[in-house]
Amino acid sequence: MDIATLQAYGYFFLTGFLVVVLYAYIYHLYTRRKSNAGIDYEEYSNIALDDDISATPIEKNEKREVQ
Amino acid sequence: MFHWLEKNPFFFAVAVFLTIAFAGLVEILPNFAQQSQPTVGTKPYSTLELAGRHVYIKNSCNACHSQLVRPFKAETDRYGHYSMSGEYAYDRPFLWGSKRTGPDLMRVGNYRTTDWHENHMKDPAGVVPGSIMPAYRWMFTNLADIDTAYAEQITVKNVFAVPYNKPLPMKDGSKEVVKLADSLSGAHASALAEAKLVVADMNDKNVKEMVNNGQIPEIVAIIAYMNSLK
Amino acid sequence: MEDRPLEYDYTIAKLFMYSTIVLGIVGMLVGVILAWEMAFPAVNTMLGEGLAEYTNFSRLRPLHTDAVIFGFTLSGIWATWYYVGQRVLKVSMAESPFLMFLGKLHFTLYMVGVVLIVGSLLMGITTSKEYAEFEWPIDIAIVIIWVIWGMGLFGLIGIRREKSLYISIWYYIATFLGIAMLYIFNNLAIPTYFASDGIGAWYHSVSMYSGTNDAIVQWWYGHNAVAFGFTVPIVAMIYYFLPKESGQAVYSYKLSILSFWGLMFVYIWAGGHHLLFSTVPDWMQTMGSVFSIVLILPSWGSAINMLLTMKGEWQQVAESPLIKFMILASTFYLFSTLEGPIQAIKSVNALAHFTDWIVGHVHDGVLGWVAFMIMAALFHMAPRVFKRKIYSKSLMNTQFWIQTLGVILYFTSMWIAGITQGMMWRAHDEFGNLAYSFIDTVTVLHPYYTIRAVGGTLYLVGMFIFAYNMFKTMTSSERVDESELQNATPMGA
Repeated sequence: MDIATLQAYGYFFLTGFLVVVLYAYIYHLYTRRKSNAGIDYEEYSNIALDDDISATPIEKNEKREVQ
Repeated sequence: MFHWLEKNPFFFAVAVFLTIAFAGLVEILPNFAQQSQPTVGTKPYSTLELAGRHVYIKNSCNACHSQLVRPFKAETDRYGHYSMSGEYAYDRPFLWGSKRTGPDLMRVGNYRTTDWHENHMKDPAGVVPGSIMPAYRWMFTNLADIDTAYAEQITVKNVFAVPYNKPLPMKDGSKEVVKLADSLSGAHASALAEAKLVVADMNDKNVKEMVNNGQIPEIVAIIAYMNSLK
Repeated sequence: MEDRPLEYDYTIAKLFMYSTIVLGIVGMLVGVILAWEMAFPAVNTMLGEGLAEYTNFSRLRPLHTDAVIFGFTLSGIWATWYYVGQRVLKVSMAESPFLMFLGKLHFTLYMVGVVLIVGSLLMGITTSKEYAEFEWPIDIAIVIIWVIWGMGLFGLIGIRREKSLYISIWYYIATFLGIAMLYIFNNLAIPTYFASDGIGAWYHSVSMYSGTNDAIVQWWYGHNAVAFGFTVPIVAMIYYFLPKESGQAVYSYKLSILSFWGLMFVYIWAGGHHLLFSTVPDWMQTMGSVFSIVLILPSWGSAINMLLTMKGEWQQVAESPLIKFMILASTFYLFSTLEGPIQAIKSVNALAHFTDWIVGHVHDGVLGWVAFMIMAALFHMAPRVFKRKIYSKSLMNTQFWIQTLGVILYFTSMWIAGITQGMMWRAHDEFGNLAYSFIDTVTVLHPYYTIRAVGGTLYLVGMFIFAYNMFKTMTSSERVDESELQNATPMGA
């Protein structure tokens, strides 16, 4: 097999694989609705709305000491 | 599972990078394995031509002129044979351009002459009424940079094995050698010899005098370059 | 410091806001000069024969594109990063002296880079590759500046309080990574001075790639410099500023996530559409074409998400000029991401390539989408950064309409010019000969070039109004209290 054929096969299967991944991801997002932390995905848009430095984070960064 | 990425900037960045890089890996890398082979008749640039190419680049001629004839009847009628990959084998950088405010120059050497260029660069609208190209009069006094052209020749010969001093097949079956001088002074001498051939067809007295005094103005170099585009 | 409550620190954001305004005016002013030069070639020697070398079209053209991309847009990206970054991560630059130092270093080196670039381009020191014209010493400087930004970016993320990264941050990260990869690979070159033991100009270099390969790498870069400079970071901005200004949450956060991954994957492929009917392999051209069409999906995912964010709140568009700027920006995004794929269809490209239609497309994207969004972002930031009201709402409205008219004149005239020229190039007479000589296809464009120059001038006038309004906002507008800055930006009459 020359490099062009290999390329074509690699190409085809990777694209197929990625399409499956994408649809699995869409399915996952819309059925689970919530992230692993148990927060509804749409809640994350509040990060922009509620962005004072003293506001409570949606998910606290544990590594960071609370001041 | 996916949300984990969104909280781990490092792995998130890795994932984004892989997603972005994927297309380049598949599309670009394999093509580089196949080195582009020069077509028969394609020669590396001489010192003066390369200096002219630098003048072309210095003034961004490629902002308005393409060097890519597409395979359509209208284009081959106007500009000549459509472009082939091998014809660009010695072009670093490529000068295809992205806009044709003026016509394509891929094969301009086939149908324009030294004195046409001379008059046109001095006063474009005088040669082509209605032309919106600006005049390039400073090229008649600025000196071409032969040193840098020679440095580039040495570089491409040593690094990319560009075949200077080697017999190359021409379209008529003959062989031709593009010589590369051994020294900087040799490069100047050969560029000057070439410049004298160009100047023989020019009218500008100043330019003729400069070349007689061993100086090469930019206009001579760029005309030598454009005459080589065939 | 101990007894004062912690506040966001906008020192660096401010600096980049200034450079956005100044470089925006410079870049667009050069653009307007170029436009008039194309309509009336005498403008090429406006400062006399002696300076013609520095005022003629071809020498100025790279300066225009680079000033708008690497001056105006990049400054805008960084101004918003140093603002949005802190806010969505809920961490202040003031908390880390090191990040503050990096930020100042970032701006200082950037200014040095700007001076070097303007000087070298005017002298004609260029590699000729579009948007990558700089020679190797400047390339190295740019890489250093980029790395410093990256350190600041990931440094700030490292000390964040909000664990989950907001969608805008994703886009900023993608901008950083994408440009870094593309820029480095496209600019690989060998300095001839060193390879020839010290002959010739020290700054000159020769590209690592030749001919067709060079073209592939250049347009892989060129197209995606647009992607990661003109799309990705601007989407980052609108995902923050539109919800914040309107008080409406993003219509669908899930959709924003999906469009992000889609855009990341698809965009790079589309570079091939710059090389249709050239000497690059056919399959690569076809991929470029196909993926350009696919690109409509993730682009529209973001654009529609933006427009739907205003659902039920459309009266805000009428009330607030700031929302107007952002909604018009997303609308232009919607249209130019449809126009681009149309031009990438092979049969359309055969007509459109090399013509002014492409120039029109670039400008409805950049003037309509990029510049409108960046100006909206600056309008939103100014009262929060300078603690003063926007100086004048009516000036904002005036600017909006003048510039909108400018963009419309620009792209309509370029559409007509491009299609006219494309049709004339290919026209044959009854005997099969070319119907027009090349110069016929140039002189016919004169009215459109004039209209375009007028459109560009209007846009520049809008830029001056913008600069004046911002200057007044920074210096003498009425002071505002923190409590007034929650959502809709306070504006004076």
